[in-house]
Amino acid sequence: MNNDKNINTPTIPTWCPGCYNFQVLASVKSIINEELKKGKRKEDFALVSGIGCHGKIFDYINLNGINTLHGRVLPTCMGIKVGNPNLTVLGFSGDGDCYAEGMEHLIHTARYNPDMKYFVHNNQVFALTAGQPTPTTEIGYKDKTTPLGVKLHPMNPIKLMLAAGCGFVARVFAEKEQVEWVFREALKHKGFTFVEIIQPSIIFHQDKNYLDKFYNLQKEGHDKTNLEQAMKRADEFDYNTVKKIPVGIFYQKEKPMFEDLWPQLVELKKKKIGWKDIKR
Amino acid sequence: MKFSILFGGKAGQGTNVLSNILGNALTKKGYYVFISRDYQSLIRGGHNFNVLTFSDEKIASNDSKVDMIIALDENTVKLHEKELRTGGKIIQKSGKGNMYFAGRIFKALCIEFSVLEKELKELKFFEENVKDAKEGYNETNEVSCKVSLGKNKLNFMNGNQGVSEGAIKAGIDIYYAYPMTPATNVMGELAEKQIENNHIVIELESEVAVINAAIGSVITGAKTMIGTSGGGFDLMTEALSLTGVADVPLVIYLASRPGPSTGVATYTAQGDLDLARHSGHGEFNRLIVAPGDPKECEELTSQAFSFSQKFGRPTIILSDKHLAESFYTEDKNATITPSKKMTSLKRYNSYEVDDFGCATEDAEIIIKNVDARMKKGKEIEKEAERFEQYKVYGNKNSKNVVLFWGSTKGAILDVMKGLDAKFLQVLYLEPFPMKIKKEIENKNIILVENTATGQLGKLLAEKTGILIEDKNKILRYDGRPFLADELEEEIKRRLR
Repeated sequence: MNNDKNINTPTIPTWCPGCYNFQVLASVKSIINEELKKGKRKEDFALVSGIGCHGKIFDYINLNGINTLHGRVLPTCMGIKVGNPNLTVLGFSGDGDCYAEGMEHLIHTARYNPDMKYFVHNNQVFALTAGQPTPTTEIGYKDKTTPLGVKLHPMNPIKLMLAAGCGFVARVFAEKEQVEWVFREALKHKGFTFVEIIQPSIIFHQDKNYLDKFYNLQKEGHDKTNLEQAMKRADEFDYNTVKKIPVGIFYQKEKPMFEDLWPQLVELKKKKIGWKDIKR
Repeated sequence: MKFSILFGGKAGQGTNVLSNILGNALTKKGYYVFISRDYQSLIRGGHNFNVLTFSDEKIASNDSKVDMIIALDENTVKLHEKELRTGGKIIQKSGKGNMYFAGRIFKALCIEFSVLEKELKELKFFEENVKDAKEGYNETNEVSCKVSLGKNKLNFMNGNQGVSEGAIKAGIDIYYAYPMTPATNVMGELAEKQIENNHIVIELESEVAVINAAIGSVITGAKTMIGTSGGGFDLMTEALSLTGVADVPLVIYLASRPGPSTGVATYTAQGDLDLARHSGHGEFNRLIVAPGDPKECEELTSQAFSFSQKFGRPTIILSDKHLAESFYTEDKNATITPSKKMTSLKRYNSYEVDDFGCATEDAEIIIKNVDARMKKGKEIEKEAERFEQYKVYGNKNSKNVVLFWGSTKGAILDVMKGLDAKFLQVLYLEPFPMKIKKEIENKNIILVENTATGQLGKLLAEKTGILIEDKNKILRYDGRPFLADELEEEIKRRLR
């Protein structure tokens, strides 16, 4: 398959009407189309998504890959990269999928630093199971499972990724221009890129407060090579109270990539093949 | 002729190196050698011992008595003196290292020093080792057993090496693992050969990461294997279910140890047969093979790759600590089943999917998918008939049948001679060879298993309706393997 350049599928999206995921989908498709126009082939991509609202993106983009288990997007991406290091591997997770169930993989993948592009759709709620709190839900949030309100302070995944040594840490709002911009930047970066997309759930976590709180790091003269500054900026939004929310690239530094540290994978890259092509 | 030596000492004193030097040398001298390892979950100190038995006839087990004890520490004598046969010999000298004792044994068995020297060349610190060995060799002139020269036997290897060899010969591309006894050495074996054979070995953060990364690699078309023990396998089972729905040909090496939970980490048990059969939610088919010696490890590993590639299914190679870490002399080459890489990158899904690889909730498509899976199960059954799904030994017309699988093979075949029974080893646990029913119907069936519940008996009952009487179940669940002489008595008592 995939000799054509058409990345549409016949499946009709089942996200709620008006869901921010449509913005993300449109942005991702537009960037992939850009890449295809530049000469990439569809089979040069592998797309992986997890379980949750975000995961449906797999059904709406006709690329190879897998809609895998809840929480396991990153090891699956890693395995695809090891299987064929020439592939452009795109991973999509939700906040439940990444910060709850699959947290250990996030920290370790930041350390492994394979060349993979990872996007976390953070709506601060388990939406597809109808509204339970995730690790980034604010204190006081109530749903059927938390009638007493959320008691725990949310985690700050941006700070976590900075501490874990991730070489590309960014946050954007689920708005086409921002997602497209960060996707292009991520593709230019050699190594693991962590992008959090803030995308309020319009049913369960519709926080309209957010909309006028965003400011762009790059427009404010933030030095993305300065880890200390990045940490300070990351502290400005603690996912609990909303004063201001920095978006843009917090930190960027290229470091050795996983696939360049193994002679076997270097060889596959050089020959532009995967293990499948190795005849024994 | 049969001669047994117990090597005992503290962890770190080098009993493994010592017994393997002798095992290798004796194999080259034309003897059959078997070594089992008994070691604690600690790195230095404690008490570890290996028992080496050699014979001019095929052997793959130990007895409860030994002819010689090599005591690297005082404790060894205290603990094992009672296992020494009448007239047996204890070799000990405080303050000496394992190479000194290597010299003593080689002298005691009348093996030329040059043979020992050749073995030492394979190790580090050759000069020091030779010096110590020479001191031991020249210590006395006492001789316990003459070893004469025979024809060099083929291989001296353990089950883990068999699995590794099988994987390499089957064309493995990628091996992922997280360390867990007794499967860890497969990672070591394959890692050592990764450059030479051009495959890759990667250790990841958990068994969950291991199997999910493996799935990622498999769907790019790479021949991929993972290895673990029961606890690690438990963590993998959600993803095992994914391989079942998404046609992912993954090979899994499951080497058991006593559970439940952490259990007895460095000892042996066959308690994970039920786990291998029933793990993973939902209904999907799989292949489970159970080798009984290193040669079968090679063969069945290659068959596991072949089945998984051909049918896009998970296949499990089920072993245990006793098989994984005991050393056996093999005198024949394994028959390797080759396989093509049949998978390529397309659209995979953990959901039920439509023709486009998109998730579906359509009832008709679900039925179609489930029926296709069940049909594949039938195809696997048919393909399995091309292979030796079980082996029969002994008196084929006897009214007694001894039924077993996996690592008990060694002790069972060693006591088979002189017992009026048919011995039936099951190699394919899934799909279960239904022809077995004819072999055992109306017979006095005796089950030998390293479990407390007799799991093969449960499987047999499920598949054939045949029940094995409780008194006919010879079960051992103290973490130790069966010893040949004790097992012989147990079987004898149950023969009709």
